[in-house]
Amino acid sequence: MSSTPPVLEVRGISKHYGATVALRDVSFVLNAGEVCGLLGENGAGKSTLVKTLSGVEVPDSGALFLAGSEYRPRDRNDARRQGVATAFQELSLVSTLSVAVNLFLPDPAVNRAGLVAMRRLEQQAARILAAHGVSEIDSAALVGELTLGQRQRLEIVRAMFRRPRLLLLDEPTAALSDRDWLFDLVGNRLAEGAAILYISHKLDEIRRLCRRSVILRNGQKVLDRPVAEMSDDEIFRSMAGRSVVERFVAAPSAVRTDAQPALSASRLSGDGVEDISFTLMAGEILGVAGLEGQGQARLFRSLVGLYPLRSGRIEVAGCGRMVRSPRAARAAGVVLVPEERKTEGIFKDLTTIANVSLPAIDHASKLHFLNRRRERALVGEVIGDVDLPEHFLPLSIAALSGGNQQKAVLGRALMARARCLLLFDPTRGVDVGAKQSIYRMMRAFVGGGGAILFYSTELDELVHLCDRCLVLYGNRIVGELQGPALSQEQVLSLAAGHGLERAAVSGR
Amino acid sequence: MSAALRRLGRLRPTGGAVVAVVIFLALYAIYAASEASAASVFGLTNLFNNTVVLAIASAGLTLVVLAGEFDLSPIGVIAIANVVMATTSVGTLGWFGALILVLLIGAAVGLLNGWLVASLRLQSLAVTIGTMIACEGVALLLLPAPGGAVNQAIVDALTGDVLEVVPVALAVIALVLLVWLVLARTRFGIAIYAVGTDAMAARLSGLSAERTKLLAFVLAGVAYAFAGFMLSCQTGSGDPRASDTLLLYMYASVAIGGTSLMGGRGGVFGTLFGAGILSVMQKMLFALGAASFYTSIFSGLIMLVAIFIGNASELLARVRRQRVA
Repeated sequence: MSSTPPVLEVRGISKHYGATVALRDVSFVLNAGEVCGLLGENGAGKSTLVKTLSGVEVPDSGALFLAGSEYRPRDRNDARRQGVATAFQELSLVSTLSVAVNLFLPDPAVNRAGLVAMRRLEQQAARILAAHGVSEIDSAALVGELTLGQRQRLEIVRAMFRRPRLLLLDEPTAALSDRDWLFDLVGNRLAEGAAILYISHKLDEIRRLCRRSVILRNGQKVLDRPVAEMSDDEIFRSMAGRSVVERFVAAPSAVRTDAQPALSASRLSGDGVEDISFTLMAGEILGVAGLEGQGQARLFRSLVGLYPLRSGRIEVAGCGRMVRSPRAARAAGVVLVPEERKTEGIFKDLTTIANVSLPAIDHASKLHFLNRRRERALVGEVIGDVDLPEHFLPLSIAALSGGNQQKAVLGRALMARARCLLLFDPTRGVDVGAKQSIYRMMRAFVGGGGAILFYSTELDELVHLCDRCLVLYGNRIVGELQGPALSQEQVLSLAAGHGLERAAVSGR
Repeated sequence: MSAALRRLGRLRPTGGAVVAVVIFLALYAIYAASEASAASVFGLTNLFNNTVVLAIASAGLTLVVLAGEFDLSPIGVIAIANVVMATTSVGTLGWFGALILVLLIGAAVGLLNGWLVASLRLQSLAVTIGTMIACEGVALLLLPAPGGAVNQAIVDALTGDVLEVVPVALAVIALVLLVWLVLARTRFGIAIYAVGTDAMAARLSGLSAERTKLLAFVLAGVAYAFAGFMLSCQTGSGDPRASDTLLLYMYASVAIGGTSLMGGRGGVFGTLFGAGILSVMQKMLFALGAASFYTSIFSGLIMLVAIFIGNASELLARVRRQRVA
């Protein structure tokens, strides 16, 4: 029995939202200098727990203790004053304010006149960012101008720089490709004696950082054990409540070399896209790898006409014309599943069925009146392919977990009779079960002669799912990997720009 | 060099304000070219007297709009302020007592709006339609027909000029601008932008959307009341219906000045020029001999032009996107 009380003790916390139970009698402890993983599928209660600890939500019952004394935060600021800081999954940054102001919200330093001293703030912010190994973010820039990855870094730095005794990191690597940066920072905080609750879907991160992990399922704690004692399978089983027999659906390649390419791009150039050429065959899953901000987002958007290109040609099978707008792309059977699901993927005020049926409502209506039964039948044809449970259809899509929302978005792409899918990080912030469904759906899609261009921040997905993989660096394709050469190590080395020097040398 | 560029970067969200300044100067140049008295102290005093009520009321409205809400109550508050000035400023209260009373009434209406919107989470558009109608009713109750009188001392003092150099109305507008420039640099000023941009992110950052919106409504109410005070000085009497046409011009001033009606972008600086544009245009058209009913046609067109230019860079990018590829 140690004499110092744990940094955090959670004792029997419960939280309900109407009829849904978000947390049920959850208890655990967290000691100084310890990282504890928090695992669970989407909707398991992780985010509610984080919000409760951060002072955003008040639990219905149970108690929290911080270093032995009762901890009942009135609001975010109260929690922060008591030494609890959070990097939120949904990123709590304000896009129209500068990086510096965001870093110091809600109480940026003021001078004697009560005015916020911008220049001093920016200098301080620059120092803090530099001290946390972030040099590429200008402290005077508006947050709205930053990439998603940069915003995530800023969110993490904001939680860390005040030296909290309890640090909550909610999916901190969802938009981050340089994870070592985060791992180093986590190490530093631990050395200073902070306690960290680390929420992630990524098991390799949990294994690397955490000695112990708590697993939640349906709002209840199902496991609290040292990570090393558990196999991957055991962890997945605890999270999902069922056995995940294989993590990746092993299937023979479905590439059809005899048919004409589903999509071919030749010498595409534009802002953030430098001389990109590739061919996507029918039945192929072509991976795209790259660290954040290497042109992948621009490339995907350019392919459906969302960004202008200076030059180059995009040819789509069975379509003679150039694709200049998402509408034209759709007509040609090319559908983009975008990066930001919440803002670009779903229509959050509509029901799930309306989100799925949108591309096909013309087929389900007569005289412009929608035939609900016909709509249901059409949607019924695709929801099986994406494993979207039927009882979700009448619900508002905003009520669904991230994984089920993504299934609905993919279902909509299938409704549009896409022949070529451009999937941009489709498994980001998605639980294990939904990932399996997405992998299966991808395999089935190419098996039926479709083609997929697939960007992912998770290298193991690229390695296991793709027939070939392009690696981007500095807005260019710096390598193409296939077969045995397609390994995580190879992808990483090319993505970090190592292949570049070699190519340049051999080119001389 | 890079420091200057960064400074420029921070000004970018008020990009619409630059458009308003340019349009204002262009219209004023045409006006001055066709009307000799335009540049005289008398002409300027006249111009700013015509602007000051709209400018102050729109400045108040800008706070609420930046915080992501709407407010239709200003004309009700202005009406009450006007009739209270016309019924009390000559008597025992004196003009100063009447001014304080009027500002308190403005703050009270703002507090009511703010409480209903920020604390009870009711829709601001609906709530403020209610308070507007109620306030107009109160104004009619206090003074059923146009009449009354405003203390002559302030009528003379606030519609003239300082030492025959600076129009008093211009000084008042400058004061409003100064208050804004200070306010915008306080934590509250930053909180307004944050809450108007993304209320959830603001909350997770530890800001109180409730307190911020409440304060925005209260300050706006005070601004409307002050606008009503200035209106009373202009007219010298009370008229419960004098402010009826003002509301849409207030929103026009805000929009022309580059403030997004969605909240989070813009500022009072642009709004003041927006109000200036609307009144200098009237002067210009009059000087050019255009019939008065052309004024509203031009007001509308100017508004479209200002909003178009304010969003031009985005529009251009979209057009180019469709043409290239």
